[in-house]
Amino acid sequence: MRNKVLEIKNLKIRYVTDDGIVEAVNGIDMLIEKGRTLGLVGETGAGKTTTAMSILRLIPDPPGEIISGDIILDNIKLLEISENEMETIRGRLVSMIFQDPMTALNPSICVGEQISEAISIHQDVTKEGAKEKAREMLEIVGIPGSRMEEYPHQFSGGMKQRVIIAIALSCSPKLLIADEPTTALDVTIQAQVLELMKELKEKLEMSMLMITHDLGVVAEVCDDVAIMYAGRIVEQGNLEEIFKYTKHPYTEGLFNSIPNIDDRKAELIPIRGLMSDPYNLPDGCSFCDRCDYALDICQTEKPKKIYFSGTHFSECHLYSGNSDFQLNCGKK
Amino acid sequence: MSEFLLEVKNLKKYFDTPKGKLHAVDDVSFSIKEGKTLGLVGESGCGKSTAGRVILRLLEATNGEIFYKGKNIRELKKNKMRELRKEMQIIFQDPFSSLDPRMTVSEIIEEPIKLNKIINDKEKRFERVLELMDLVGLSRRLMNTYPHELDGGRRQRIGIARALSLDTKFIVCDEPVSALDVSIQAQILNLMKELQQKLGLTYIFITHDLSVVNHFSDDIAVMYLGKLIEKAPAEELFSNPIHPYTKALLSAIPRPTLDRKVDKIILKGEITSPINPKDNCRFANRCNYVQDICKQTEPEFKEISPGHFSACHVFSDHLSGEFE
Repeated sequence: MRNKVLEIKNLKIRYVTDDGIVEAVNGIDMLIEKGRTLGLVGETGAGKTTTAMSILRLIPDPPGEIISGDIILDNIKLLEISENEMETIRGRLVSMIFQDPMTALNPSICVGEQISEAISIHQDVTKEGAKEKAREMLEIVGIPGSRMEEYPHQFSGGMKQRVIIAIALSCSPKLLIADEPTTALDVTIQAQVLELMKELKEKLEMSMLMITHDLGVVAEVCDDVAIMYAGRIVEQGNLEEIFKYTKHPYTEGLFNSIPNIDDRKAELIPIRGLMSDPYNLPDGCSFCDRCDYALDICQTEKPKKIYFSGTHFSECHLYSGNSDFQLNCGKK
Repeated sequence: MSEFLLEVKNLKKYFDTPKGKLHAVDDVSFSIKEGKTLGLVGESGCGKSTAGRVILRLLEATNGEIFYKGKNIRELKKNKMRELRKEMQIIFQDPFSSLDPRMTVSEIIEEPIKLNKIINDKEKRFERVLELMDLVGLSRRLMNTYPHELDGGRRQRIGIARALSLDTKFIVCDEPVSALDVSIQAQILNLMKELQQKLGLTYIFITHDLSVVNHFSDDIAVMYLGKLIEKAPAEELFSNPIHPYTKALLSAIPRPTLDRKVDKIILKGEITSPINPKDNCRFANRCNYVQDICKQTEPEFKEISPGHFSACHVFSDHLSGEFE
C-alpha cells in the first residue's frame, strides 16, 4: 500500500466580498505520497496559494469560506479538528515557506531565537536544547552557527530564505509547502536554494508541495505536476506525462509562452486574452474563451476528468470520445 | 557621424554612503546600433538599472561620456536635454507604481504630448492618443478607466504607449515583463518586438531573466558588481560563454525540459558589497577557477574574438573558453 501524506478531496473555497463572490478553488482533488514532490503551477489568481493556505487552515474567515471538501494529512481530517489541535499540527506535521524572504522574518528578533521558537513550541526540550537544535538547523542549511545572534537585516535575500527553510524544517514536518520559494531570488542564488531543498527533502524523507509559475523550476525539483487554472486542476500527471505528452490546451499555451533558451529564433505564442473574471466564471470550461481548440460544448458544459493513464488526467472536452486527439503545439 | 546610435564610454556612477563610495556603475563602455537591442543582464545590485538611468541622465554620471547620435549628452544644458528626452524614453518594471492612480488611461498617454507641446489642438491630440492605444493593443473602450481597474499586462501597455507618444527613437526597458505572468509576458514581448520593427526603435533591455534576453536581444552585456564582464552577440554568448560568471549564470537557469543538456554550476557565496571594492577581479571570491592574479589585479575588458569581449584573467587567452 502506498503511503499517502496529503489527500485533498473535492475542495471548494470562496471569498465573499462586497463586490460579489470570488470562486477561488472549485473542487480540486490532490494526492501527495511520501517522499514525492508535487508542483502546483498556474498564473496569478489561479487559486494556488488559497489551496496551500487551506491545508494550514489559514484562510482568513471572513471573507474566505471552505464550502466543502476534505483535507487529510497523515490520516488526520484537518477540517474536522479543533483550532487547538490544528495548532499542534502547524509547524510540526506541515510547514510552509513563503515567497518573500524579506517580510517573512521578524526584523526585531535574532534568527536563532526565531528558529528555536518553533522547536520549543512543538518539542519537549529545554531552552538550551532548543537553542542547540536551532544552531544545528542553521548549519544544515549552510549558515555558520556563529550567526545565531544576528538579525534578519544582516542577511542577504538568499540567506534569509535559508533561515526560513531552517525554521520550516526544524520539526521535521511530513509535508513542506513551498510557495514560490525562489521567485524573489537571483538565478545563481535560486540554484543554490533549490539544490538545498532537494537535498534536505531526501535526507528528511519529506513530501513537498511546490507552488510556482516557473516550469523550469518544476522540471528540476518535482515528481508530479498539477496545472491549475481558475480554481480547477485542469491537468495532472507525472513530470514526463506533463512535459512530453501535454494534453490540456492551457498547459500547451504555458509552454509556448516561455522563451526557449536553446532556440532564440523560436516564436513566442502567447495565450490570447486574460484569465476569466473569478467573480463571474463561465458556465462551461473556464479556459474556453482563450482556447484555440474550443468546441461548441466548451461554452456550455464543464469538462470532466479524462484519464490517459493511472496518473495522468486532463479536464478537457477535446478528449471525450476521442482520447487519441493530438494538440498541434500551437502551429496554425 | 558614428555608426552607433548610442555610445557609452567609461561610464561611472558612484553613490556616497556612510560606509564609503558605492560603485554602482564602474567604468562601463558599450555601444548600440540603430534599430538593435542590447540586453543588459545581471543579478540584483549589479548596477544594471542605475546604468539605464544614468544613460538617460535621470541620474547624473560621476564620470564618463554618453554619445547619442554622436553628441555628448552629458554636456547638454537642461533645456536641450529636455528636447532630447522626446527621443529617449524609459519603460519601468512595475506597472503598478509607475502610473498615476488618479489619471485615466487617456490622460496618462496624453500627458507627455501635452507637456512637450507636440500637438496643441485638443481634438488632434485625442486622435493621437487613440492611435497610440491601437498601436499597443489597448481597446479604445478603456480610455476612461483608471490604472487600478486594469491588470498588469494592460498597465504595461499603457507604459509602452506613453513611452511612444513622443518622437521616440530609443527606449531603456527596465525589466518590463518581470512582474507579469508568463502568458502575458509573451504578449508584451511580442508587442515590443513588433513595435521595434514597425518604428525602427533601439532598445536597451535590462533584465535578470536570461531566457527573455536571449529571445529579445541582438547583443548581450553581462554586469557583475558594477563592471561589465562580458559582451557578445546573443548567439555567441549563449553558445560560447567565456567568463566563469556568465557560464554559471547560464547553467543556473531552470529549463522547462526533461532532457537537460547542461550541468549546473553552483556558485559558492553571494554577491559582495559594491562599497569601496578592491582593485581585483570582483568575482574572484566566488569563482571556481580563481588564480592568484585574480586577487591582485583587475582583469582588462578586452576583445577575445571579433565582437566578443570579456574581462577575465584565466579565460581571456583560451579562445574556446575551455579550461581544465
